[in-house]
Amino acid sequence: MKAPPLGLYVHLPWCERKCPYCDFNSHEREHLPEEAYVTALLADLAGEAATVTDRTVDTVFIGGGTPSLFSAAAIERLLQGISERVVLAPDAEITLEANPGSAEAAKFAAFRRAGVNRLSLGIQSFDDAALERLGRVHDRAQALAAVTAARSAGFDNLNLDLMHGLPQQSREAGLADLETAIALAPEHLSWYQLTIEPNTVFHRRPPVLPGEAILSELESEGRKLLARAGYTRYEVSAWSRPGRRCRHNLGYWTFGDYLAIGAGAHGKVIGSDGRIRRYAKRRQPETYLAADPGTFTASERCLETADLAGEFMLNALRLVEGVPRAHFTAATGLDDVVIAGTIAQLVARGLLVDDPARLATTPLGLSFLDDVVGAFFDA
Amino acid sequence: MSELQHIRNFSIIAHIDHGKSTLADRFIQHCGGLTGREMAEQVLDSMDLERERGITIKAQSVTLDYSARDGQVYQLNFIDTPGHVDFSYEVSRSLYACEGALLVVDAGQGVEAQSVANCYTAIEQGLEVLPVLNKMDLPQADPDKVRTEIEEIIGIDASEACLVSAKTGLGIEDALEYLVAHIPPPDGDREAPLQALIIDSWFDNYLGVVSLVRVKQGVLRKRDRIVTRATGKIHQVDGVGIFTPKRRETALLQAGEVGYVIAGIKDIAGAPVGDTLISAQHPDVPALPGFQKVKPQVYAGIFTVSTDDYEDFRDALAKLTLNDASLFYEPETSDALGFGFRCGFLGMLHMEIIQERLEREYDLDLITTAPTVIYEVVEKSGEVVHVDNPSALPEVGDIEEMREPIARCSILVPQEYLGNVITLCVEKRGVQKDMQFLGSQVSLSYDIPMAEVVLDFFDRLKSVSRGYASLDYSFDRFEAASLARLDVLINGERVDALALIVHRDQLQYRGRQLTEKMKELIPRQMFDVAIQAAVGGKIVARQTVKALRKNVTAKCYGGDVSRKRKLLDKQKAGKKRMKQVGRVEIPQSAFLAVLQVDG
Repeated sequence: MKAPPLGLYVHLPWCERKCPYCDFNSHEREHLPEEAYVTALLADLAGEAATVTDRTVDTVFIGGGTPSLFSAAAIERLLQGISERVVLAPDAEITLEANPGSAEAAKFAAFRRAGVNRLSLGIQSFDDAALERLGRVHDRAQALAAVTAARSAGFDNLNLDLMHGLPQQSREAGLADLETAIALAPEHLSWYQLTIEPNTVFHRRPPVLPGEAILSELESEGRKLLARAGYTRYEVSAWSRPGRRCRHNLGYWTFGDYLAIGAGAHGKVIGSDGRIRRYAKRRQPETYLAADPGTFTASERCLETADLAGEFMLNALRLVEGVPRAHFTAATGLDDVVIAGTIAQLVARGLLVDDPARLATTPLGLSFLDDVVGAFFDA
Repeated sequence: MSELQHIRNFSIIAHIDHGKSTLADRFIQHCGGLTGREMAEQVLDSMDLERERGITIKAQSVTLDYSARDGQVYQLNFIDTPGHVDFSYEVSRSLYACEGALLVVDAGQGVEAQSVANCYTAIEQGLEVLPVLNKMDLPQADPDKVRTEIEEIIGIDASEACLVSAKTGLGIEDALEYLVAHIPPPDGDREAPLQALIIDSWFDNYLGVVSLVRVKQGVLRKRDRIVTRATGKIHQVDGVGIFTPKRRETALLQAGEVGYVIAGIKDIAGAPVGDTLISAQHPDVPALPGFQKVKPQVYAGIFTVSTDDYEDFRDALAKLTLNDASLFYEPETSDALGFGFRCGFLGMLHMEIIQERLEREYDLDLITTAPTVIYEVVEKSGEVVHVDNPSALPEVGDIEEMREPIARCSILVPQEYLGNVITLCVEKRGVQKDMQFLGSQVSLSYDIPMAEVVLDFFDRLKSVSRGYASLDYSFDRFEAASLARLDVLINGERVDALALIVHRDQLQYRGRQLTEKMKELIPRQMFDVAIQAAVGGKIVARQTVKALRKNVTAKCYGGDVSRKRKLLDKQKAGKKRMKQVGRVEIPQSAFLAVLQVDG
């Protein structure tokens, strides 16, 4: 089996303030132990690198938390350290997630100089009232300024994260947010519906969300707006200009490999024996920082046949165009016969396209993707 | 081993909540059957279900040694009886093993209808019935009133009734003395060839079939060769003994005694309840009169959610029927649900308990269809058929007449709730047969269609009388009635397992209620689900479960698939409890929607 493309995920687990909808591994802290954390990340990576010696890292994604809370110097040291420990492709996509606060925007140019070539801004909304309800620390003006700052800092590959279906949001307000985002002409837009996750403030104290009719219209109108503006929906919630799809995320969705460093980071790597290993790093920043080299990993498991097909589909079918059918066997090592029966049933139900060469959902199947993926886990 | 004159075999007749189990526990404690430490609450209710529901379902026995004031040690064999209206058949079975019964009445609440019925059964069987007034520690205890009630309603002398409090221990020893003095010892020739009645049998995974027996004559010894009359098969006795309540092996059981027998019987039909055990050396000893075969009153289809479980389900039913002769089953095939069994039950509680035991003890996932009573149908050809399944009803054109079963109901209710109870009886299409004022209670006799009685009548009766009214009922006759089958269609397809037989006056109303309830129970799916109720070809009610707009996780969290997996596992667990009918996923509960609508 040919080794798939390889990414590297780096988790920086701190935020200025935890958002009430967020169930990520993020923590509010007064003081960021930047130095110590970067040192730990690089020690962690040294162990990871040993498992992929002859492979090239095509993408790096620095996520959080709020990575832009880190100083440009720390990010520079991190990227420098990464390039010393793994083989980075010359054209590697290096993304950093940033908050549109003014303090962060001031650092954008330095991040760019440090080697970051793709910036992902957590805008969420351009409506001050909506932002306040979401518990965001920035406002509309800062959001607009952040985009300008990113452009002047030299970022020509920009993603905006935007949510819809926000508490008390009207159809018009949701579409206005989207229009504002489109007017800023980012290369990439993640436009996703707010969902209430367990273990969040919103789950404990549910806000009033728009009704189904509003959500439905907002979504269909929004898709039209995006299409007219030249954005293509290539994943459930991801839109891009031609050639500007997020390569790192495509790695996840095509069942590629990714190393993971940082508190609570999740990785997936195929071994020399062809077995696929998933693992997660220690979750609490403090325990991660205190870990001895070689003990960053908290849990790991090898994917069994029973899980493989389901987990492959869970990712691949998020892509609007799906993947070539042959890619299933190439990426999992499983025979196509494992999925043939389930696929036939889903085709008959109108949920997968009837194309022997492709694995892809129909529009209905994409809307009911959780049912589609569930069928592969049941089989 | 005890001489006959030092044995007393007795049962306790009591209404639920009147303290039978607590009193039994006190007897066990007094006689040292268990040390204080071993004394779990309500020892005799050994099935988990019995404890949870606070009722006794199956007969159990305990043998106690009581040192009486006359200096003699008496062997007391207490055979427990169930205390719910659905199980009156089991009561009469237990009484066969006894010479006497204690009638335990709550001194604050008075006599209840079911105790009356059970007392009559006991008296008919020639048992000595001794009244015991329990809960004397409570301030509302009114022994004089309750004594009068016992004499007026049941017609036995209550002047010497024991006054006890099982809770505080008051009067326990006096009750035991009273029992020893008034319940006659058993008779039975111990030199005669063996003759023993099987009161109960159950399957034990380690021991095989264990039977509770009352030895009527002769002796039953370990290593004896015995024959069960019904099967004619010879078995060697592996062990005999008693429950103290712990199982204790003894060398033998003699005439007059009650205990267990294990005889290596592996085939669970090998020791049927009500059968007689005799010695292989004396095969001509006649069978004892067995128990009257009880007729189920409620029928329902039970199916496994997964077809793979069918074999296990069949085995489980076979094992359950060993203990419970009243459970009837035969194979049933449903277009919607596949292979299953049509089961007959004594009542709704019996049905719930059987389903719970199957799910809990045998780890089965089951779908139970709407319960129905048995109808008598006269066809145009003159043939009379009995229908226990709505989907098996003959074509409308072939039916000359339909008859529904009528129950004769005896209700005892304090005067202040009489109005409520009569209103309820009328609502349930009841016809009053008799009404008598007895002390502060009123005894009512009503004829009510069985279909109304078995569904929720008992619960409703309790709720309109704040728990004070009590009920006993039995099948009386079939009577012509205006009935029709109400079909349910899901997305245009008739689902056989959802059909009901309904009185014509109620068709529209029941159809609307049922479709409304099903709309609540069927989850939204990828497409609209139409739920229709129809009679013949005519739609009488319709509801739509609107399609879901989507079911897709908006954002997948980078490389962490674990939370996505958790979500999918949750969805999967939900689906496991669903049955796919056509394209529609129907949850188990929807098949019983009819029970969840307000009567």
